[in-house]
Amino acid sequence: MTACSVPATVIDRIREIVGPGGYIDNSDDLAPYLEERRGRYFGAVPILVRPKTVNQVSNVVSVCAEAGTPIVPQGGNTGLMGGAVPHDTGSEILLSLTRLNCIRDIDPINNTITVEGGCVLSDVQSAAASVNRLFPLSLAAEGSCQIGGNLSTNAGGINVLRYGSARDLALGLEVVLPNGQVWDGLRRLRKDNTGYDLKQLFIGAEGTLGIITAAVLRLFPSPRETQTAFIAVQGIQEACDLLDQMQVRSNGMVDAFELISDTALDLVLTHMPQTANPLTNSHPWYVLTSLSASSQGQALKIALEETLSSAHELGNIHDAVVATSMEQGRALWRLRESIPEAERRDGASIKHDISVPISQIADFMAQAEASIQAEVARVRLVAFGHLGDGNIHFNLACPVGMDANKFLACGDDLNRVVNDIVSSFDGSISAEHGVGRSKRGEIRRHKSEIEMDIMERIKIAVDPNSLMNPGKVV
Amino acid sequence: MKVLVAVKRVVDANVNIRVKADATGVELSNVKMAMNPFDEIGVEEAVRLKESGTASEVVAVSAGSSACQETLRTALAMGADRAILVNTDMELQPLAVAKILKAIVDRENPKVILLGKQAIDDDSNATGQMLAALLGWSQGTHISKLLVTDNEVEITREIDGGLETLKLTPPSVLTTDLRLNEPRYASLPNIMKAKKKPIDEVIPEELGVDVTPRLTVLKVEEPPKRSAGVKVSSVKELVEKLRDEAGVI
Repeated sequence: MTACSVPATVIDRIREIVGPGGYIDNSDDLAPYLEERRGRYFGAVPILVRPKTVNQVSNVVSVCAEAGTPIVPQGGNTGLMGGAVPHDTGSEILLSLTRLNCIRDIDPINNTITVEGGCVLSDVQSAAASVNRLFPLSLAAEGSCQIGGNLSTNAGGINVLRYGSARDLALGLEVVLPNGQVWDGLRRLRKDNTGYDLKQLFIGAEGTLGIITAAVLRLFPSPRETQTAFIAVQGIQEACDLLDQMQVRSNGMVDAFELISDTALDLVLTHMPQTANPLTNSHPWYVLTSLSASSQGQALKIALEETLSSAHELGNIHDAVVATSMEQGRALWRLRESIPEAERRDGASIKHDISVPISQIADFMAQAEASIQAEVARVRLVAFGHLGDGNIHFNLACPVGMDANKFLACGDDLNRVVNDIVSSFDGSISAEHGVGRSKRGEIRRHKSEIEMDIMERIKIAVDPNSLMNPGKVV
Repeated sequence: MKVLVAVKRVVDANVNIRVKADATGVELSNVKMAMNPFDEIGVEEAVRLKESGTASEVVAVSAGSSACQETLRTALAMGADRAILVNTDMELQPLAVAKILKAIVDRENPKVILLGKQAIDDDSNATGQMLAALLGWSQGTHISKLLVTDNEVEITREIDGGLETLKLTPPSVLTTDLRLNEPRYASLPNIMKAKKKPIDEVIPEELGVDVTPRLTVLKVEEPPKRSAGVKVSSVKELVEKLRDEAGVI
């Protein structure tokens, strides 16, 4: 990429389009937008543009297209792969949709909500709740991530098992294309077989094909009854069997089914205040599960208790607790949600966000654990994640007593070992975190030439001058 | 020694309470219900007394509709031995509950009865005190620590100036405060065991208790909405606002 700075005339014209308050150009105020959350990437830009209307987005993009100035779109900047952080060349501009944050429409009968790209995810959830509906996308960063970014990265989170990822929740999009044109694809339809499903191109494209300025999203009935249980399972295969039984007995009401390894729980109990093991003894593997139904009654509770009871009789689970209040349910979820922070406090960690078919998780884990132990002895496996989606955060913590930098230096080797095993199971090396800058090189080792060729040709067709988030994904 | 513990079915503490449109009360239909958190602390304390060998039997009691069975099952899953439901669909006010509990105490003869210091729905903080008066028993309210021996009940309560420790002569009515203990989770084996434990049902008439409400609710309203804060640009402006607008200095 050639690193020429953004022409002053372009910056002037952008300032004119958005007016005062529509941009940030002093380095102190810019700083938080230029850093990736884990501190692995830092960028530089002369200006951050914050358009207030779709028209302003379109005009800014047109000006940049004319001048050949690349644009990095950014939502809440909560991504983990460096996709929303500009390069440090100063040749790009940063475009944030923070001010484009209106809820344009809620239609409870059609079960849709139409929102602008800068809406914070938790605001979308609240707007849905105000009409007794659920917008099920839910993830740790929901208080600051924006829906435009969620769609651009096809965000996952804890409810994918039941409701799908961001891709499954979108019915229509409005996109500003790399030449500044606005594609109005805000259809509120569940059925529309009129050719290529263009919106799916932009979802998960991480801003490399255009800027998602608005979306029509699906809504669901609000849950009235929720049951949460924390379970010690015999092993991963038994956990998978338990999930199957729970789906059958509850009529598919399982919202989340999360795996937590003993090491992961230990990190939480060691590093996070006010946490305690809800079970009397420790066990190698735990499952945290939540079920919900839109009608009140005992049915869900009975289904959960009966499933657990049968599994207990079979010896597939060792122990379990069921939350009797929402407070207890939240306390159980806090154990799961605190894992990333506990990992951070614990020290050096090498992370993987992988998925394999659910039926293969047990085999994958056994093989991967043996291989990494052979690579770095006594490495601590902090495996946890969305077992119900086949998505495991297969993270490795520094062996006790080993120098952190020495451990981190093994990162590339360990990544490669794990990723190759993932590939041998026909899995994905980035299940929900995306590609961004981090895995741009690595995906080439795991996707076929044909896949990469199609992706590159789509990129060239939609963004021939590579002005949209260059250097990311493809 | 027998311990009685009273449990109330209330709206779950984490539900956003909505006032009914006709201002007669709060919305209860389709709302998640749970055991009153202070009563949960009472059950936990009673079960600990049993586990330490101080108590020989823990009996949970609840008054209200048949739905209260669920609350009693929770108490049984936490470790209570058996349960009593005083079944009525009437609205129950603290005095009526105190009379019901007195009748149950007369039947069961416990040495100690534990109640939450208040229920989080009406926040009355009255039933325990009324019950102690009706029974003529010693009372220890808002307790944060409990020590029971054969002839003595020692309690600690958090008061404004620090901690107050009292010795009571049993039998005693005790009401629990937040820091008394951390209630346990209901474990699977205990949930299954609880399904087989008995829940006896009686109606207030059998106990000879008149539960007719004595208080009339005139109106239930939401508190006024808090208005958004403002940013001031200087200390001077802050002082001016505090003096001229808020009138607090």
